[in-house]
Amino acid sequence: MDKVDGTEHYNFKAPADLATLQVIILDTNPLAWATLESSSSLSFPSALSQLLIFANAHLAFSQSNRCAVIANHIDGTHFLSPADPGTDHRDPGEADLTPEDLKEIAHQNASKYRVFRLLEDEVRASYRRLIANTSPEAVMESPNTSFLAGALSAALTYINRICFGGMGGRSSGVAGEEKSKVNSAGGKVDETGRTMHAKILVISVTPDPANQYIPVMNSIFSAQRLKIPIDVCKLQDSTVFLQQAADATGGVYMEPEHPQGLLQYLMVGFLPDHLARRSLILPTKVDVDFRAACFCHKKVLDIGFVCSVCLSIFCEPPEGAVCSTCQVKLDVAALENLNKPVVLPPRKKKKKKAVDSLPESGVASAADSPAPTE
Amino acid sequence: MADSDEDFVLSSSGDDRPKARGGAGASRRSGTTRGSGGGKSKKSDGPAPGATKREKWEDIQRSWDNVVEGADGSIAGTVIGLLEATKRKRLLRDTTPIQRGIIRHLVLILDLSSAMLEKDLRPTRFLLTLRYARDFVTEYFEQNPISQLSIIGMHDGLALRISDMGGNPADHLTALQEKAFTVEPKGASSLQNALEMGRAELFHTPTHGTREILLIFGALSSSDPGDIHDTINSLVEDRIQVRIVGLAAQVAVCRELVMKTNDEDDSGYGIILDEGHYRELMMAATTPPVTKTEEKSVPSLLMMGFPSRTVEKHESLCACHSNLTKGGYICPRCSAKVCFLPTECPCCGLTLILSTHLARSYHHLFPLKNWVEVPWSQAHKSTNCWSCQTPFPSHPPLSPTKVKIRLQVPSASTAPPPQPKEKEPTQSTQRYACTSCKTHFCIDCDIFAHESLHNCPSCQSLPESTIKARANLWPPSTDENGTTPAVDLTKSMRTEVAEATKMLENSKIAAGASMMEVDS
Repeated sequence: MDKVDGTEHYNFKAPADLATLQVIILDTNPLAWATLESSSSLSFPSALSQLLIFANAHLAFSQSNRCAVIANHIDGTHFLSPADPGTDHRDPGEADLTPEDLKEIAHQNASKYRVFRLLEDEVRASYRRLIANTSPEAVMESPNTSFLAGALSAALTYINRICFGGMGGRSSGVAGEEKSKVNSAGGKVDETGRTMHAKILVISVTPDPANQYIPVMNSIFSAQRLKIPIDVCKLQDSTVFLQQAADATGGVYMEPEHPQGLLQYLMVGFLPDHLARRSLILPTKVDVDFRAACFCHKKVLDIGFVCSVCLSIFCEPPEGAVCSTCQVKLDVAALENLNKPVVLPPRKKKKKKAVDSLPESGVASAADSPAPTE
Repeated sequence: MADSDEDFVLSSSGDDRPKARGGAGASRRSGTTRGSGGGKSKKSDGPAPGATKREKWEDIQRSWDNVVEGADGSIAGTVIGLLEATKRKRLLRDTTPIQRGIIRHLVLILDLSSAMLEKDLRPTRFLLTLRYARDFVTEYFEQNPISQLSIIGMHDGLALRISDMGGNPADHLTALQEKAFTVEPKGASSLQNALEMGRAELFHTPTHGTREILLIFGALSSSDPGDIHDTINSLVEDRIQVRIVGLAAQVAVCRELVMKTNDEDDSGYGIILDEGHYRELMMAATTPPVTKTEEKSVPSLLMMGFPSRTVEKHESLCACHSNLTKGGYICPRCSAKVCFLPTECPCCGLTLILSTHLARSYHHLFPLKNWVEVPWSQAHKSTNCWSCQTPFPSHPPLSPTKVKIRLQVPSASTAPPPQPKEKEPTQSTQRYACTSCKTHFCIDCDIFAHESLHNCPSCQSLPESTIKARANLWPPSTDENGTTPAVDLTKSMRTEVAEATKMLENSKIAAGASMMEVDS
């Protein structure tokens, strides 16, 4: 392939030279960027330029690498690149330019690598179009709007199409058959049937969209299944969702201390592909908060009670032993021994596997089990 | 074992047996019901199944009948349509929010008898079963992170314990590797022994969870030490649900077993048609079963610990495997360090999980609604898939010469508004629309969204006002059809979850501060 490197010497297997698709999810909430600019002097145009340099660096690694940019805007998510084929491709900014200006621009761009220029032009044009369609009132109405779940979902479906030929969600089906199918369609595949590797980079400036907890989680698990790392570059407002996303999928989570140096963070932290990452110590966050909040008093819990039907979390058995969410009468008899110390059964000395076979709710459960029949 | 095979040969009367294994499996079915084994094998003649309904092999389907030539003489359109229909068939499922047994206890019983040496599945039944068993374990824990599993083998007339009831997929996978792969399939299989061992495994499981057995049955007979009907009755008493995947043919006693343990519903008994169908049947068991009757499982409150993760400077032994590890999770009750979640604390027995494990099960509770196939009259609204940017076919020119149009069986579930079928081209639009946000997607995104993502990408990326504004467009939203209380419940739960997370976020600072203190 077009990669000249010594990886052959190190027993890397064939999937090593699959290309990588980088999907960038960019927050474009104007208000959030304005606050960021006032606090850290990183403006959106300069961030976009740095991001495009990063994207170009990714594309420069291999001719078959690809890049997609998705905007997470105040009125939804939009593909900046590849742009929606149905839309007008003209750059609205170009309308004001004189022919001389256009010539000047063309002259400047003449020596630019074509792949870079195509991506840059497309992203910038789509972004201008996006901003042109956004009214100032809408911006003022939605200071913190973010469609993280939608952007992640769109990124994953796009990756599913590009990297798995649309077969990524297919857990069922015979592995062998699918492999040959993709193979005939084109080029290399690794053992899981993927034709490209993929990673997602989220550049985020907005806080967590709390009402999207379940969809975001679903997206995270889906990415985890497809083995797609979600990298997070959080420029302001640290978030739980994205921390969990990066942690669960093995991505990098970074909160740059000096956002104006964004490019350096991007290049050093997020550029390495899946192969290089194996041999690097990634600058990721380790202490992710996984504790849960109870539904009844919204307290953060270490130990809580979970309804076995709907998995609602409570900090204490609810009143009347009725689950407040699903209205099911709960059996709390098992919890009566709650404050007594749990005594280990003496047969615990067996090997490690015996541990798991303990009844789930401790001592009382044996009494609830149905009587032996014979 | 051998005798029922002979019966099958005798009874399968026909030179016109379909080539497909599907037909063969179905036709064998009748043979086995008649030929209950003699000798030791304890099988009974159940009521002849399907006496009234037509057998599968009685409906002759010729695949070439469905192929219709397009106007230009090619069959490409039909082929794409057929492909999509098969993809789609797998997708349509019931999406009303139902109460499901999220916390499951399942015993997977594998057949390791000599019948598994048959080579009708590639490479052999045995090897394929083990491969699928591995996939099953992974998938089961993916879908049911807070559930437990145990694996038993039926080997040489005995039940062979492969792995104990536990929640760690890695344990089961190593056990499969170490025990099952090294065993050579041998002898007869004994349903009774395996079921009794499974029953014993499930005996101590708490009442709020489900108790299930998934049996992979390759043989056609069972050699049992006692009366299997006693075992079946005690399984019913212990409210254990049994699902069976048969590799060869339907066996009367299996059917009876499934019927009795599932409230006279035999949908849990499947005979495989080919490798793909085998996998499908097996993976169907990874979805949590619907809670049918209330007395079956008693809902209860479970005490669970939400441990925090630590990273230590020096390695220390974990309490679960006695391995030296640097990182780990600290049990909030007894401060033991475990290296893997979800698990049960080896010291105090507290169930330790992450809140993400609970979140992983939520999609069973709020399934994504089925999408609707878009008719050509609506197809002009989109030119490409919303989420993966794949272009859709544009409207094909209506063929002037009326090609004979065979109405294909409509594959869409929620019937699209009745269209004048004659005008509709045979080629499908390849567009599928979400019923709430009306966005059009391609079939691959449809499958991906329903099987893996469990989100509608477009619903998640449009403001609620926009979705509401589209409410009256085609296709009609399916909200009204659903049982209203269930929908309300789902909504209320969604808000509860959202509020809880919001609180979690707000409390984040405080939580972090306390963690800092612990660290220092």
